[in-house]
Amino acid sequence: MREPEFKVIDPRRRFLLWFVPPLTVFVTGLVVLLVSGHITGPFRSVTVVRALFASKRDFFQDEQVKRILMARGYQVHVTPVGSRDLAEKPDLDSYHFVFPSGHVANEHVKTRRAGKHVVPYRPFFTPVVLATFREYAEALRKEGVATPHGQGEKPLYYNLDMAKLKGLADVGKRWDELGLTNGNRVIVQSPDPCKAYSGATLVGFFATAFGDEPPQTIDAAEKLALEVKPYVDAQGQAGEDMAPKYFVPEGRTHAVIAVIYEHQYIAYQLRQKSVDTERVLLYPTKQHQSTPELISFTPEGDRIGELMMNDPDLRRRAVELGFHSLSWNGESADDFGTYIAGRGLPEPPAGEAGRVQLPKAELFERMLDVVGDCK
Amino acid sequence: MRVLAAVLLLVLAACTPSTPAVRLKMLASTELADLGPVLAELKKATGVELVVEHRGTVEASRSLAGFDLAWLSTNRFLRLRGADPELASSIMTSPVVLGVKPASRAVLGDRPTWADVADRAALGQFRYGMADPRVSGGGMAALIGVATAAAGTGAPLRPEDVSCDRLQGFLAGRAFDVPDPVGEFARRSDVDGLVAHESELMALNASGRLSTPLEIVYPRDGIVLSDYPLMLVEPAHRAAYDRVVEWLKSPGAQQMIAERTWRRPVEPSVVRDEKLRADLGTALYFPDSQEVLDRLLLFHDRAGEGRQVIFVLDYSTSMRGPRLAGLREAFASLNGFDRFYVGETVTIVRFAGTVLEERSITVRGKQDLDALLAVVASDDLQDNTAIWAALDHALRLARGETAVVLMTDGENNAGPSVNEFLRVGRGEVPVFPIRFGEASTAELDRVAQASGGRLVEAGAKSLLEAVREIRGCR
Repeated sequence: MREPEFKVIDPRRRFLLWFVPPLTVFVTGLVVLLVSGHITGPFRSVTVVRALFASKRDFFQDEQVKRILMARGYQVHVTPVGSRDLAEKPDLDSYHFVFPSGHVANEHVKTRRAGKHVVPYRPFFTPVVLATFREYAEALRKEGVATPHGQGEKPLYYNLDMAKLKGLADVGKRWDELGLTNGNRVIVQSPDPCKAYSGATLVGFFATAFGDEPPQTIDAAEKLALEVKPYVDAQGQAGEDMAPKYFVPEGRTHAVIAVIYEHQYIAYQLRQKSVDTERVLLYPTKQHQSTPELISFTPEGDRIGELMMNDPDLRRRAVELGFHSLSWNGESADDFGTYIAGRGLPEPPAGEAGRVQLPKAELFERMLDVVGDCK
Repeated sequence: MRVLAAVLLLVLAACTPSTPAVRLKMLASTELADLGPVLAELKKATGVELVVEHRGTVEASRSLAGFDLAWLSTNRFLRLRGADPELASSIMTSPVVLGVKPASRAVLGDRPTWADVADRAALGQFRYGMADPRVSGGGMAALIGVATAAAGTGAPLRPEDVSCDRLQGFLAGRAFDVPDPVGEFARRSDVDGLVAHESELMALNASGRLSTPLEIVYPRDGIVLSDYPLMLVEPAHRAAYDRVVEWLKSPGAQQMIAERTWRRPVEPSVVRDEKLRADLGTALYFPDSQEVLDRLLLFHDRAGEGRQVIFVLDYSTSMRGPRLAGLREAFASLNGFDRFYVGETVTIVRFAGTVLEERSITVRGKQDLDALLAVVASDDLQDNTAIWAALDHALRLARGETAVVLMTDGENNAGPSVNEFLRVGRGEVPVFPIRFGEASTAELDRVAQASGGRLVEAGAKSLLEAVREIRGCR
């Protein structure tokens, strides 16, 4: 008879059987997260940077941008606010950097930070455009107000004659008189010019319908503002950021012509499986480009600004999000056109007929106050 | 098994957000009571618990004091008072539209407008319920929408657009306006339709409380869209607010909102139920003036009181031919927002050298309107024109709230002169003369001004347009 055999199980082996698989999952996951930038390792601390944003917040709220920054050790906490409101915020100094949309707010912020740390960075620009829908652009084309940019059957971009658009508004023309089923008058809807830069730009666009020279005195600015006012007032109560509402299926109900930024449109198109040919842009012949400045108040803010200017991943992502990138010397780089053409989008009109000459900040601000009855 | 449990534990630990729990007080529109399940998920996902108090949007917009957040159907009422919080983010949308019982649907016609609804309501053929506009955003949106459509300018309402009360025909069909119109509608059987948010109508249809679901009608002349902004009232809670907004706008939350509350998502990528894809058509602009809203409420509040309109019509021989034909056509064409409405007393005084005929009818239905047309169809024309004697006669007929419309094409050549007429105190009844042909502008204008009315020149436009312009002025 054989002795009973005891099968000895090595307790270490038993432990390892239990422990190794989940450990593998954990380690693999950690490595993936570290590499992708979702989290940072114990050897590197994350700096939380607090920032105040106008319409360009989409950039810092983008998942890939967040990941790239996280991989570099930064997390940006974004607080959205209208561009003009931004400059007025009482707790401005409590942020590491701010990112307003336009020159008036930029100037204001710098004035308020006079004597303190303030460093501007200009990583990219984007034109202000009037977003509309195919049938409305075509109705304007038939009236001789808009002309297609490019030869395609379904152009995405049209050049817009502001003086002729003003002419339609002057006679109280309604869309149903232009063959559409919409009893509303031909007007442009924008955010409140008192609060948002794109709303303020609409004031600048209509001002070009009264002449090319920007006013040089307060009196001239006020006079011009009073002429422009009825065209901006025509929309009744102004809205907020128009872009989110333009892109939903109810877009036409929210506004048939809305002032937005080109990058919002380009980014939207790049997200689609195929190009949305229903949504098109009108470019006033005198274009206006918003060149947002990242204005840093602290060394942490400086670091974000430098990354925006230098980091190849961040700059590539900016183009993917629809921005035209700018180099340190302020020249526009050609990667934008190449990239969107590669994705099947035609290059938008580049403003051959020039730019809107906005008046000096203080005069323009006075115009906005008059047009918007700003408090 | 144990291995699996351990893996799950690790995965869960990695997914749980490390955000602190927060409790915030939120003021929300009444209809947002249906968001309970969404807010429960919100708390799980973000650690932010919202303690909600519900009020009608118009009422809530009077003061946000004491709350951390506000989530109302619109911030436009707040903005009119310059009291809208700095941070607001639209989370979902729903248009104010009309739900109609299938049995009553035909009376409105194919693809109706608000004008069609007002027309049938004035005739007593269509009765609807709505929310109280003094309290509810949906009720106020309906009133603004209907008044904007009635003004027909294609532009936002200005104070001068609502100087005349053109809502009475529409309001004549109102069966009730209460804080909870959906509940009231479900309890009653004598009402044809309900003016409310699309989401409320769809939820009612899905609830099984109705024997047959309502058909949803998107009036062709335009709707008002509520965009439900979530607003930060107390700036100290900005971090929690940002978290809440980010979660509510995430595709998963947007999907849940669309599925459970029938509101339209603001995130374009969310796949929608077929019912939430209906084309909304044109949105009406929102007025930029509190005065407009106050005036609309004034008209709303006095609806249903017995009103009288007296037409003093010149039947002197000079009216023969196209002028009389124009007058008859104007009366026959008064429809939509201009129609004589149920409960209104219409008096017609025909005159030449003397009063030829006087007829008063309180409208109960279509047959009464036919009787009025029969009076205007009379071919009994006579010599002379005693304008002021006829007007004096008409003013003696005024009972309660009355307006007088005087139409004449000639000079006064019988009876008292304008000076003699004006020498007597005439009380508060406004007179709206419509001048055409050779009538004296100066005299008619004097009488209009003295009475608080207004002179309308029919020369520049058709008689019908002139009548429409002053229809409803009090």
